[in-house]
Parts: sequence; structure tokens; C-alpha cells
Amino acid sequence: MKTLMIKLLLALSLFGAVSATASEAHTVAAHSVPAVQEKAYESHSVGHMLVNFAKSTGVYAILNPDPNELSSVGKPMNDFHKGWGRVIMILIAFLLFYLAIAKGFEPLLLLPIGFGGLLANIPVANIAGAHGFLGVIYQMGLANEFFPIVIFMGVGAMTDFGPLLSNPKTALLGGAAQFGIFGTLVGAVALTQYTDMVDFTLKQASAISIIGGADGPTSIYIATKLAPELLGAIAVASYSYMALVPIIQPPIMKALTNDKERKIKMTTLRHVSRMEKLIFPVMVLVLAILVLPDSTPLIGAFAFGNFLKESGVVERLSDTLQNALINITTIFLGLGVGSKLAADQFLVGDTLAILALGLIAFSVGTAAGVLMAKLMNLFPGHKINPLIGSAGVSAVPMAARVSNKVGMEYDRSNMLLMHAMGPNVAGVIGSAVAAGVMISIFA
Amino acid sequence: MEVNLVEEGFKFMVLGMSIVFLFLILLIVAMNIMSKIVHRYFPEPQAAQTPSSPVQEGGDKLKKVAAIAAAIHHNKSK
Repeated sequence: MKTLMIKLLLALSLFGAVSATASEAHTVAAHSVPAVQEKAYESHSVGHMLVNFAKSTGVYAILNPDPNELSSVGKPMNDFHKGWGRVIMILIAFLLFYLAIAKGFEPLLLLPIGFGGLLANIPVANIAGAHGFLGVIYQMGLANEFFPIVIFMGVGAMTDFGPLLSNPKTALLGGAAQFGIFGTLVGAVALTQYTDMVDFTLKQASAISIIGGADGPTSIYIATKLAPELLGAIAVASYSYMALVPIIQPPIMKALTNDKERKIKMTTLRHVSRMEKLIFPVMVLVLAILVLPDSTPLIGAFAFGNFLKESGVVERLSDTLQNALINITTIFLGLGVGSKLAADQFLVGDTLAILALGLIAFSVGTAAGVLMAKLMNLFPGHKINPLIGSAGVSAVPMAARVSNKVGMEYDRSNMLLMHAMGPNVAGVIGSAVAAGVMISIFA
Repeated sequence: MEVNLVEEGFKFMVLGMSIVFLFLILLIVAMNIMSKIVHRYFPEPQAAQTPSSPVQEGGDKLKKVAAIAAAIHHNKSK
């Protein structure tokens, strides 16, 4: 009898201990992830279920925003951003579709960005949140600046430095065009200092002004590093203006040149040997290592892609960089950037200022390139047609094509395309160096 | 501490533009030196190809002329 009692007691205490630890574990789990706490299923009438369903629809969520809903970065949002702001953003996504499909504006990026923006603004589903797939894409490759680097490898594998190697001094035009970046930086901080319209920090102003480099991946790289909260607006501005190069640049180019300058014929480019092309990417990288190691993530990736291409022995790898890899990354990059088009981050006053400053940055860069070419013509040596100066902004190869087109308007026989490719690819290097300078300042 | 943002902006501009130009000028110098060295020590098979290719082309042209002449002759003789 006594032993039985002891056994019973033991069994009870054991059970108690187990249940105690179990409940402890349960409360711990409930504390860390309250959302996981399961509700017991309750039986409801059909009418009640219909009402509940109606409350979970998108229409209801837009008309009656959930007061407890947090934005994808975990901050409280106002009712406008939860409700009609989302509708406006979805309409903006439709506008991006229209621009990409009907007008042919950089469709490769604007379509994924636009669709990402559409998905990011869906109420209830929280696709751009930490556990939504757009949020996952953003964390996977944008928050750590990985995707822009991969894009840079692909761009490197697609770039031919031949025109630059055969006329090295045109690299200066690619440098002058970076004035667009730093000029706009001064503009952005001046706006902050002397007006009440905007309030940008130095980091934010730097991230915005890099739009003037007209280089999408560099803009995204710098924006995620210095001002991730402005990424959506900066990326959209950057790619929109790259698409608008043929509209923005020609009036500036024509205003700054006279008829005689526009008809300057440049000497034919000399042949560049394979050895020179092979040494070039390594040489650029060595220079970057010596002068500005902060620029080597971008320049290193670029040199890697170009080296694979020029080596001529890894056709398959170079082909993958130029096609498969850059395409896959473009999809993810676009969607990830689109996730930053959520109403609470895009529908703010700063966005308009960013669009305006980006346009100024772009125009100033174009003008600086043209003026640099005119300056270089004051010195002895082969004359440079100032129309290729505008190609110093790095939008490859669009800016070079624009130089060629404007040149042909004045002289049908004047082919400037290859001459303009020199400053164009130098512009890519120039904006990567400018980005490196910004990183080194804030490091 | 209040920072004069515009002054900072100008500092960034001076620093940034000088480094961009410094880098590109170094790059131009390096490119010129590199191409001199390459042309001096690795003159490339191109130098050998260039004289040979016109000869080949000339040969091709002669063949074409011969073919055309033969064709004309053939037509005439019909």
C-alpha cells in the first residue's frame, strides 16, 4: 500500500514537472512569436463567416485601414498610406507598365520594378514585409548590396574598351560628366539649408546626387549603402532618366555647341590589339587598389566581367555573365527595388525633390561633358567633336547613340558612335570612382 | 554641433572631382604606357597578317574577275 502511494506520488510529480516545462516552453514560444499562437477553432454561423470574409477583402482593407498595421520596416503608418495611398501607388505601377511597354522606357528594369511596386502595395498580404517574398528578395540581395555588384559583372562582360584604348584622352570627358553628381550634391544640401521644402542629410543628398552618374547599378548600390529609405525613388528616377537620355540630352548638347563644332570630324580610331584589351581591366583594378580601395567592389566586379570576356578562353562564363546571370539578377533587382515602392515610403514630399534633383544632376552632367570637350579643343592635338562629351554620363550605350544621332543631323557622313563609346565607358569607371569617394567619405 | 551643409557639399565636390580626374588621368597615362609596351614587345601576329591579307584578297579578286569573265564568255558564246 505504502509503495503504491509512493509510486503514485512519483508519477504525479513527474507529470507535473513535464507539464510545467511544457507550459514554460509554450509561453516562451508565445512571447517570441505571438502571431503563431493558435486560436482554437470556433464554430460560427454562415452569416458570421461571410461578415468575417468581407472584412478580410482588399476593398475593406483600403476603406477601413487596420489601426494596428505596421509598414514593412515595422513603423506605424498613417491611414492615407494604408488606404488610398496604396491605390495611388498601384496606379503609378500601371503608369510604369505603360511607359515600359508602350514607350519602351528601359522595359527590362521598369517592368520588374513596376510589378514589384504593385505587389508591395497589396493590403493584408504584406508581400514586402520581412516574411513576404519581396521582403525576402530585398534582404537576400539588396540590403547587402549584392545584386548591383552582379549586374556590374555582367556590364563588364558586355563592355568593349577598344574605343577608349585607341583614344585615351576621351576618358577626361567621362570624368567631367561626374560633375553632375557633385554639383547636385551641393544643390541638394543648399535646398536643405536655405529652404524648408526638404530636409536631406548629407548621406541622403549624396545618394540622390549619384543619379547624375546615370548608372543604374551604381545608384542602387550607393542608395542601399547610404540611404536605403530613399531607394525606391532613387532607382525609379535613375532608370527613368536613363530611358529619357534621347529626350533630355540633345537640347543641352545643341545649346552649348555651334554649327562648326558639331561638324568636327574625328580621326579614325586605331586598331587595338587583344593584349591591350586583356591588360586593361587588370590595370584599372590595380589603379583602383592603389588610389581608392573603396571603389574596388564596383570596379573589381566590372574588371572581372571584362577580363573574362577579353581572355577569350572562358566563352561559357562570359556568356553566362552577359545573359543568364544578368537576366536573373535583373528580375530580382527589379522586384527588390519595387518592394521599396510601398506607399509609406514613396508617397512622401522627398520623392518629388528626388525626381527634380535627379533631372538636374543628369542635365548638369551632360553639360559638363560637352563643355569639357570644348575646353580640350583649346589645347593642341586632334580636335574632339563636343557632341561626344555628353556621352560621358555612363548610360551605355544609349548616350553614345544619342551623340551619334545628333552628329548625323548636322553631317550625314559624320559617324561619332565609336568615338562616343570611349567617354561612355570612361563614364562608367568615373561614376564608380565617384561612388567610391562617397563611400570613403562616410566610412 | 551645427554643420554648414553647403560648405560640406562644396568640400565633397572638390574632393570628389579631383579624385575622379586624378584617377582618369592616371588611367590615361597608364593606357598610353601600356599600349607602347605592348606594341614594342608584343607586336601581335596582326603585323604579320596585315601584309598577307591584301594578297589573299587580291587573289580572291582575281578569281572573281576570272569567274565573271568566264561567265560573260559563256553567255556570249551561247
